[in-house]
Amino acid sequence: MITLDKVGTGRKVVVSEIEGDQRFLSRITSIGLTIGCELEVLHNENKFPLLFYGRDTVVALNREESKNVFVEVVE
Amino acid sequence: MNAATMTGQPVIALLGQPNSGKSTLFNGLTGARQRVGNWPGKTVEKKEGYYVRDGIRYRVTDLPGTYSLSANSEEEIITRDYIASGEADVVCILADASQLSRSLFMLADYTGIECPAILLLNLVDVAEAQGKRIDAARLEDKLGIPVIPFVAADRKRYGAFFEAVDRALKEKKRIDIDSLIAKYHAIGDGIYENLLALMPEAGIGNYSAPWLATKLIEGDTAILDTVKNTVEAEAYRDVETILSSIQNGALHTSGCKFQWIDELLSEALVQKQGKPLLSRFDRLATHRRWGKPLAVLIILLGLVASFIPATPIMVLGGMIPRLGGPIAEVLSSIGVSRILIDLINQVVLNTLYFAVAMIGFVLGVNLVFGFLEEVGYMARVSYIFDGTMARLGLQGKSVMPLVVSFGCTIGGAAGTRVIDSWGQRVLTIALAWVVPCAATWAIVPVISSLFFGAWAPLVIVAIFLVAGLHMLITARIFGSKLIRQEDRAGLIMELPPYHKPRWKALLRSILVRTWDILARALRVIFLVSFVFWLLTYSTSGNPDASLLYRFGRAIEPVTIVFGLTWQTFLAYFASMVSKEAALGVLGSLYLGAGSLFTATVGSGGKVAVGLESVLLASLTAPAALAFIFAVTFNAPCLMAITSTYQETRSLKWTLRILGYYVSTSLILAFLVYRIANLFM
Ligand SMILES: Nc1nc2c(ncn2[C@@H]2O[C@H](COP(=O)(O)OP(=O)(O)OP(=O)(O)O)[C@@H](O)[C@H]2O)c(=O)[nH]1
Repeated sequence: MITLDKVGTGRKVVVSEIEGDQRFLSRITSIGLTIGCELEVLHNENKFPLLFYGRDTVVALNREESKNVFVEVVE
Repeated sequence: MNAATMTGQPVIALLGQPNSGKSTLFNGLTGARQRVGNWPGKTVEKKEGYYVRDGIRYRVTDLPGTYSLSANSEEEIITRDYIASGEADVVCILADASQLSRSLFMLADYTGIECPAILLLNLVDVAEAQGKRIDAARLEDKLGIPVIPFVAADRKRYGAFFEAVDRALKEKKRIDIDSLIAKYHAIGDGIYENLLALMPEAGIGNYSAPWLATKLIEGDTAILDTVKNTVEAEAYRDVETILSSIQNGALHTSGCKFQWIDELLSEALVQKQGKPLLSRFDRLATHRRWGKPLAVLIILLGLVASFIPATPIMVLGGMIPRLGGPIAEVLSSIGVSRILIDLINQVVLNTLYFAVAMIGFVLGVNLVFGFLEEVGYMARVSYIFDGTMARLGLQGKSVMPLVVSFGCTIGGAAGTRVIDSWGQRVLTIALAWVVPCAATWAIVPVISSLFFGAWAPLVIVAIFLVAGLHMLITARIFGSKLIRQEDRAGLIMELPPYHKPRWKALLRSILVRTWDILARALRVIFLVSFVFWLLTYSTSGNPDASLLYRFGRAIEPVTIVFGLTWQTFLAYFASMVSKEAALGVLGSLYLGAGSLFTATVGSGGKVAVGLESVLLASLTAPAALAFIFAVTFNAPCLMAITSTYQETRSLKWTLRILGYYVSTSLILAFLVYRIANLFM
């Protein structure tokens, strides 16, 4: 299990855990990130937010916040 | 009893995540029949309007765009309270059909609220272009409420909406919640069941028992309070015991909601596996090296393009003051007094001219950047500049308003709408005021080349350096008050798929917005202009008989401390109304001719004949420099002040920002003057 900010561009992952306060959890899940959902990392460049695709949507997520998302790499 | 039965006017509330097309639908339904205000006691915009069909007036309320119905932001609290109040007869939930799975979250979160609803699958045109087919009948069957494939941007398709609203009003159906409850039952060891048993069976107001239990699991403190005030003390203790055994409840419930959505869609959504996730253009737009230059280039081109729609309007506006002569003739021929004619000629015509000329540019800027937003590019710009903006305590979405402010601060302020946190929105506006707008360049080069000749470009470089420093300091000062710890959330943003612009709907939205800015600004501008006119009114026609002149002379001992003569101080003062005015006012003060008032709001920006030699003779180089800095970093203009109020929805913060800029620009003038005196 690694955090999302460590996943290389082009990898597919499954979310296994998300940490954070109630406000963060509510916001991040409302944009489609939940446990068990599959993501494809589109861009992971230093100093830029993470860009990934999941649930029909391309999402940009701040690097700091993406450290709270734990994933298993599937591909 | 709900609103419809009381007044005979059904109330429809629009609910949806940001970008689901709420504003487009609201504008399409109500057109000009809308009123914008604040939600009581809040700094959130409230939009209400109505439309009439078959003699019935349907009232429409546009709820703030939120991602869910939790209570984490002012917008969400307002939305929830409104729905709980029972004011709406039908809640119209908008989902983005091109990103349906994610976008149905609002529907799932709404399920369990006891108010009739309809679901609009908006942007089906975009979904179809992506090769998606949605079986609305099937969804309707499963949800139990009207479900309509919809294009908010196309008014020809509104018939189905009207029909669905009427159906919902008649049948009053709620969303079928059983299949969702079944999912919640899987949370923990019967936690959901136990909580549900403790809720009042009939729910509380519009909140049904299953909905309340879900929010409790999510750790929603506002709902916990509501429950505490309703149930027996003993039951409440049990609730607390159960809740203490749950962690990260929102993760569980959201998981259930999305499982439910996936099941709904498994039979209703057919999707061809199509194009790559990032198009070739997107690869460039989000490229770590090329993304930024591309964005800067596109934005610069955008600013230039803004002049295309703006110019005809500005030219048209320029003709207004010419009506003055004929009007004066007619009026004096019917015996209207001289002072009244003067008032009409100067105040009414000139302010109209001023407002129209400005609004031309605002319209141009809104149109161009509305277009970039509409096709989906703006979200990419936010992504690429997020890291840069973080240094100012802002997120990527703030970059657009700041850049637009190089053209026009008013457009910049209006552009902050897309920023989801209020604090960040206000901070962005406060910083946008620092950015030198186009009008600055009508003044600064003229005066600096007059006084510094070949060294003039250095002044401009200095202005940019100071502007950068100013931003850093201002971000600190305002940021500490505006951005609370919980607002510090970094960027979480969806990048909408690129799609073709819907010109008609875009124009409609922009016109409504621009008209809104104009209507509000006009009132303030007339008032300020009138006061200004009184102050500058002079019976002899020369400035030295006016009140302002006397005032200026009287306070010169003070202004000179800041390196400002009374003339430059008054020009500085007038630049708060319009930056271009500074030169005109200098002209009429130093040359002692012409109306001060026309110089301020009339066709400003021109250098009066002979002004240059007078300026050179009466100002020292340090004083000229002080003046340049004072005007550049002063409040941008009257309309920027009114639109700041319009976007922040807070008079207190508007005045704070204004006060801050007046004082900092004077401090800057003081510093520049003192330092320059050491060297020059
Ligand atoms: N092609 C197409 N575009 C649409 C449709 N509805 C809305 N849009 C566009 O989608 C974008 C978002 O629409 P808005 O009406 O601003 O969305 P909103 O829900 O009000 O978003 P916020 O203002 O952020 O709350 C705009 O660029 C609209 O022009 C539609 O049915 N079809």
